[in-house]
Amino acid sequence: MSSSSPHALTAHWKKFLALGVVALLVVWYFAVVGVQHHENRQALSVLVGSLFWISILIGMLLLTMITRLFDAGWAPIIRRNWELLIIALPVVIAAGIVPLAINPDFRHALWDWTNAEHLLPGGHAVGHDPILQAKSWFLNEKFFLVRIALYVLVFGVLAVLLRRWSFAQDTDRTAGHTHRLHAVSAVGIPLSAVTLTMLAFDCLMALSYHWFSTMYGVWFFALSIRLALAVTVILTYKLSNGGWLDGLLNQAHRHVLGCLMLAFTVFWAYISFSQYFLIYTANIPEETFWYNIREIDAATGLKSEWWGVSMYLIFGFFLLPFLSLLFYRTKIVAGRLLTVAWIIVIGGLVDLWFNALPRQVYDKSTPEGFVVTPFLTPSLFLDLAAIVGFGGIVFAIYLRGAAKHETIPVHDPRILESINYHE
Amino acid sequence: MNERNERIHGVACTFRKVSDVFHAAEKVRDAGWKNWDVHTPFPIHGMDQAMGLPRSPVPRLTLLGGLTGFTTGCLLTWYMNSYDYPLIVGGKPYWSVIFPFPVLYECTILFAAFGTFFGQFIFNRLPRHNHPLFDLPNFARVSDDTFMIVLEARDPQFHLDESRNFLQSLGGQEITVIRD
Repeated sequence: MSSSSPHALTAHWKKFLALGVVALLVVWYFAVVGVQHHENRQALSVLVGSLFWISILIGMLLLTMITRLFDAGWAPIIRRNWELLIIALPVVIAAGIVPLAINPDFRHALWDWTNAEHLLPGGHAVGHDPILQAKSWFLNEKFFLVRIALYVLVFGVLAVLLRRWSFAQDTDRTAGHTHRLHAVSAVGIPLSAVTLTMLAFDCLMALSYHWFSTMYGVWFFALSIRLALAVTVILTYKLSNGGWLDGLLNQAHRHVLGCLMLAFTVFWAYISFSQYFLIYTANIPEETFWYNIREIDAATGLKSEWWGVSMYLIFGFFLLPFLSLLFYRTKIVAGRLLTVAWIIVIGGLVDLWFNALPRQVYDKSTPEGFVVTPFLTPSLFLDLAAIVGFGGIVFAIYLRGAAKHETIPVHDPRILESINYHE
Repeated sequence: MNERNERIHGVACTFRKVSDVFHAAEKVRDAGWKNWDVHTPFPIHGMDQAMGLPRSPVPRLTLLGGLTGFTTGCLLTWYMNSYDYPLIVGGKPYWSVIFPFPVLYECTILFAAFGTFFGQFIFNRLPRHNHPLFDLPNFARVSDDTFMIVLEARDPQFHLDESRNFLQSLGGQEITVIRD
């Protein structure tokens, strides 16, 4: 631990903790009151807020393991920040998803399939739904709770192992830790792939459980890596201006992060479009309804505000970052890369909204028998409060870790290569 | 034949060490030379900056190729599915950007690759059959254990004696005049 001025940042961890706790108390208060009044929108704020950070942290966990496995020379000074952050992943799942899943009121409010009395569009109850009965080997409450516990466990164990040997190397200078971390990563990547796919199925896809997409896990992976890279760019920008990466982070590091952001922007678009394309082409009602409620107002047949959200995803979350990142100078000029990173962070949140919020609510007065929940509601501010809340916890954990451990891996075999990295 | 041999291509100069050729290149760059080159057996990191080379212009042709490809894909699918032989498939419109997107996307990739591949040939002025440097008796060694800087006669700064002295001052070992 160093007491030099770049580490003055770590002293702020208590402020982040206080901010996080206060924001979360407010959000949970609204969620509890909402559920008592049979409203689920406030509980969705907890879900969206926690998933935002879960997705960022899963991306960082994967980037940690991928750069370990490929022995990336540029990575060590950046990877240490991921290592300090990923231990927040099991914490956010435990503070966000676990209470929602364990408490029957929240569970019934968010996951329709757990509530046998819930009325589907058309007025049938979930308890008599043959589609649910066919899926019940997976969608049953016992297995659901076991899976949620597994997410905490798998990501928690991986985060602990990836941190332990990396930190141990700082003091005992043993190269063997690097080999051990190769092994952890080789096992951890496929394990995380399965785990994050199940998490995306349970926390997002199962919100409208009639719908299914085998692309969904890959979509969540692409979103996670995009968000993780964008947050990394923002964080390293801050750290290279008065933090512990001041004078260490150079143009080539930005270039490599920018290239990865471009690659995963294209990958996200490829996956999101493929999912849409297959459903559009096959034109099967069990699948198309998911996109229909995100485009058309069922009562009037006109484009709804969700159509605007879809267009934002195409133009604001894909085309704008894609076209900007094609240019070399966007990837090396710190301010431009930072701007694109913020565009990606905002777009990622909109993508989560697009996936989590639209729901069919039974309403016998409309011709289709349901209405779609609107996008523009004051509850969007509650979502932002939830993001601030979980973010406060994440950064409190990060800064606390940065105060206790080395902020760059001083004895990593590739530390010099990383510091002197060039294009 | 003799008369042709009198035409000078440039002056070549060999170096034994990476650091020598690297710093020599920086000095040539700082002296304001435009038509000159460094030959090395392996890529030297940072040599682009040491030579003051700008970024490659190839990506511009890649972008141009990509845009051409996207347009070609649009025209191709529109002509076939909506103009020449309109056919209703699955109740979808004759033409939209959605159903032919794989075609548009693949055409974009293909033409961008063409732009890159042929752009590389254009900017490297390839193919060419011979080069005056190949007549240099020790030129093969720059693919083995020698580094070389060549100052070309078409540079406005070139003057045979002065350039030779300049190379000598950079610590060059063997200095040879290359004839066309």
